[in-house]
Amino acid sequence: MELVKRYIAAVQRELPEQKRQEIGRELQANVMDQLDALADQQGAALSEQQVADVLKNMGPPQQVARQFCPVQPLIPAHLMPLYKYTMYMVLGVLFLLQVVFMTSHWLTGSDFGPISFVLGIVSGFIEDAIFGFTAITLGFALMPANTRSGQCQSADQWQPADLPPVGAAWQHISLSDVFTDLATYIFLLLIIWFPLGQQWFAGGEPVSSVFTLKSLQLLMWFSPFILLGVLSSLWQLQRRLWSRPMLSLNLIVNLAFVIILVLLATMGPVLQLDTANWSGYFSPEAVQEAIKRGLLITSLIPGYEIVRDILRLRKLNK
Amino acid sequence: MTTAQLDKMRLELRRGVLVLAVLAALRERHYGYSLRRHLQESGIDIDEGTLYPLVRRLAEQGLLDSEWQQGEGRERRYYQISELGAELLTQLTGEWTTLNNALGPLLQPQKPASAKQTEEQG
Repeated sequence: MELVKRYIAAVQRELPEQKRQEIGRELQANVMDQLDALADQQGAALSEQQVADVLKNMGPPQQVARQFCPVQPLIPAHLMPLYKYTMYMVLGVLFLLQVVFMTSHWLTGSDFGPISFVLGIVSGFIEDAIFGFTAITLGFALMPANTRSGQCQSADQWQPADLPPVGAAWQHISLSDVFTDLATYIFLLLIIWFPLGQQWFAGGEPVSSVFTLKSLQLLMWFSPFILLGVLSSLWQLQRRLWSRPMLSLNLIVNLAFVIILVLLATMGPVLQLDTANWSGYFSPEAVQEAIKRGLLITSLIPGYEIVRDILRLRKLNK
Repeated sequence: MTTAQLDKMRLELRRGVLVLAVLAALRERHYGYSLRRHLQESGIDIDEGTLYPLVRRLAEQGLLDSEWQQGEGRERRYYQISELGAELLTQLTGEWTTLNNALGPLLQPQKPASAKQTEEQG
């Protein structure tokens, strides 16, 4: 019966310590009963091979141990929707914070170019995201097992009448879209206002902006529309379903973006560029021309959204 | 339907019923192997990998009483339904009977429409 002892020991090794003794003892009794019954049936002692066959039939020790003590998932299934939602929101906020941090770092005069700026956002976000992912996962894993999903959202207090109307698939607003828009608006507000704010608080020291004076003035007048975009995004984040007022607001914001982009493209130099370093490769005129075309091409994005939102408004009006 | 699908559905169908069968069988005292034999003889084939963990779980929930005893030269853990388990069994039996009565007619093979009409006319 050496095989049986080895089998039981192998099962016990896979069990939690406090259950090893009890389950091993019981399993051994059951296996021995089964072997005895088989021996009685054939009227002779069992061979080593027959014992091995019985044990093989019971299954691998790891599997038997799992049947006695099933593996508990780190995040219980009923908490998974809440876990995914929390993860998405936290990662979105971390992305926004990273954009703010890197933009302010860039504007305070750190010496790095656009590629380093993007790489900085990506690497900083990955670093924060790993921390956020670990913290949230551990938080949910350590949550008491009897916590019900949706308790935080007062799941018992919902009313069917409060549900949003049935909408088309396009009416659902994805979180990634909202956070991308928010990151863009905050980035723009920072590059417009940060140098002025710094000048204000630093006591009148002029701080250079990436924009020319003319384009900066234009962008300052445009800032209320960017703030409107921030409010629109926050509204989308709260409702998560396109409605007529939301589409109208989005339309106004996008229209303002198209106008400002076209104005910037047509009014002359937009950025103050240190073209001396590039003079061997590009002429200043060529760079400004490329910026102008870039702005016009960029204006096609809010332009597309305007057309899209008009069509959506028509669908909702039907 | 594939064999895997059928196996999965059979497993789901049997899962709840096995609790009822084990509780009912343990109105008499049994140890692990004798319980398995008793169920097999009653037409319920259940492998040891399912039965023994199930019995332990029911005992941990207080639905079964258990004690270790020497029998036929070996120690065995004997199980029997507890007072709480007996109450639950009564309720589950009622539930099962209601379900079974409702399912019976539903599971009858459908008669063709023409046969139904003939019966109604007759």
